[in-house]
Amino acid sequence: MTDDSTPQRLTSARLGVSKGLLTMAVSTVVLVILGFALAPSSVSQGAVLGMLPFASVLAIVGLGQMLVVQQGGIDLSVPGAVSLAVVLSTHIPNQDDSMLVPAILAVYAWAIGAGLLNGFMVGRLGLNPIIATLGTNALLFGAVLGISGGIPRTTTRLLSSIAGGRTAGIPNALLIALVVLVLVTILVKRTVAGRRFEAVGASPAAARATGLRYRTHRGAAYVWAQLLFATAGIMLAGITNQPTAFQGNTYLLTSVAVVVLGGTSLLGGRGYPVATFVAALFLSQLDQFVLALGVPFAVRTLVQAAALAIGVAIYTVDWAALRRRLAARPDASAPAAP
Amino acid sequence: MIHRRIATAIAVAGVSALALVGCSSGGADEAAEGGGTSVEGAPAWCGPEEAVVGLLDGFGGNSWRLVTTAAGQAEVEKCPSVVEYLYADGQGDTQKSISDIQGMVASGADAIVVFPDAGEAMLPALRSAYEAGVVTVPYRVDPGGEDGVDYDIWVGADFVADGVAWGEWIEQNFPDGAKILFLSGPAGNSQGLDEREGFESVLTDPKYEFIGEQPYEVTNWDPALTQQVLTAAIAKYDQIDVIVSDFGPSLVGALPEFEKSGRSIPALATSDGNVLACFWQEKSPDNPDFLLTTVATGNDNVRLAVQHAVARATGGEIPSETIFEAPQFEDSVDGDPSEVECRDDLPGDIYLSAEMSADEQAALLE
Repeated sequence: MTDDSTPQRLTSARLGVSKGLLTMAVSTVVLVILGFALAPSSVSQGAVLGMLPFASVLAIVGLGQMLVVQQGGIDLSVPGAVSLAVVLSTHIPNQDDSMLVPAILAVYAWAIGAGLLNGFMVGRLGLNPIIATLGTNALLFGAVLGISGGIPRTTTRLLSSIAGGRTAGIPNALLIALVVLVLVTILVKRTVAGRRFEAVGASPAAARATGLRYRTHRGAAYVWAQLLFATAGIMLAGITNQPTAFQGNTYLLTSVAVVVLGGTSLLGGRGYPVATFVAALFLSQLDQFVLALGVPFAVRTLVQAAALAIGVAIYTVDWAALRRRLAARPDASAPAAP
Repeated sequence: MIHRRIATAIAVAGVSALALVGCSSGGADEAAEGGGTSVEGAPAWCGPEEAVVGLLDGFGGNSWRLVTTAAGQAEVEKCPSVVEYLYADGQGDTQKSISDIQGMVASGADAIVVFPDAGEAMLPALRSAYEAGVVTVPYRVDPGGEDGVDYDIWVGADFVADGVAWGEWIEQNFPDGAKILFLSGPAGNSQGLDEREGFESVLTDPKYEFIGEQPYEVTNWDPALTQQVLTAAIAKYDQIDVIVSDFGPSLVGALPEFEKSGRSIPALATSDGNVLACFWQEKSPDNPDFLLTTVATGNDNVRLAVQHAVARATGGEIPSETIFEAPQFEDSVDGDPSEVECRDDLPGDIYLSAEMSADEQAALLE
């Protein structure tokens, strides 16, 4: 039967390249090649440098969402959280650079508050995360309107030079996102607390049996997520210069999309930070590619939707089973011998 | 017992609703009979009859709307016959905007001035207000329907005229032709189509080439999307001579992309905003091709709409102008009608083209 002499290939949790990362890396490379072939301007230096800051914001939002998804949850308060960070970091300073630091502290204070609220509702009270975080989203939008009257201000020069500027030709936003990526990866993969965090996500019941404080870990995920959303919002305010009060709206679907494309299961368990990061690059480059193709707006939207559907299908459809079923079908339809 | 109480409540509610409708239609009838008399010391459009006037916004959440709403209120306050002024913000929600109109009719407004953001979806609500006898004046966005049938009058903005003004400026400053990139809001919005019609009617010569997605690049008037669209366009086209945009301030974040690619910011024909003017003053020394012209962004459109509504409700003189034509504002080339004006001591989100003073606008934003 099976050949016992062939050693079974071992995959390491730490060093192995995950399916998500492989898929995303290959897709991104294919996209770049397609770019060179069909729309060379999509891979020109200017286009890529223009795309990277937005990809970085999406990556940070995605990493936040990933931490929550790892715990089997979902945080739908992304739009409110990002919008509130944008509004606070432009409204409080009102173009006065010296007020930027207090503004950023206020942003993080709100983020911790919102995260604790989400964490308490989901982790302690056991509410459904979709309902609980949607409620928080509404509260955050209430704060957006209450603080600004829905009217954001122009970004301060300091913030726009930090978030929108470049160091040695590399967009600062990308550098910040890389730092966040490294931090998240190290904290989750290399620290005791991080390993516990991931274990709780993989199996709350088992974690509980081993005495881990699973409810605390579940709730804490929402706080980490909010801190990352806040960081993304501050950067977005700097990158856009003249933001609207509802700048976070576009991140609701895309934040979940990059997590799923990165291969993290919506049911919880292991998280793939690097894959999530690459998925954010992929989605942003896809935008750029379709824009450069010069197809109508409608087609642009369709292409993005298709990419998402295909990406999700890669992970959720059991292709092996499907192949077996298709292969077995002719036999099943053959008439049975009497 | 409970049944009887409910029945009484319904009856009371019904009677009061009838009474309110009676009141408001009475007001409108009187307005129709009166005509041309005005209160001394007040503008001609302010008649002697007392009226309650409401202003309804479909979406109040940006600085442009804030200034516009304040301008509407300032215009209403010029007329002492208006005894009460009401305001409602639809917050971008069509259902809320509709119920705001119904609520204002029920609470006894004699005239309402409506920014129908949702377009034709607002028509039934406008019609029912008009049929209830309330002076109904939608403005700026076309709700469909007809004057005198679905509402009293629609005071639109002449976006074709904006387009013509930009077209003439381009023709004057680029007599040898130009590659033109046009950015507008959501796909299919009529403002962009009208503007396009305007400048195309001037730039008929094939030496003027329209590049990018046709009829315009879709930006949803979102600064982030604008930045992405412009980055893609810069990478795709080696030569962009003129950018035409109907929301100038949203370009401030995106235009530095030209500098980052080692190119000069090109000429820009757009609408005004303090942040844009200050941006021009800062960047024009290093960007030789960065010429700028603006049309007024149209905060004062609401004033004309208010005049029409108040005149009809109070029996004043109805203005002869029925469409708001945004005046040309800045021109960096010949300074006519005005040089590019920047007030760097005030917030970026104010509009120096508006009738309301810059300092008053800045105070609104505090």
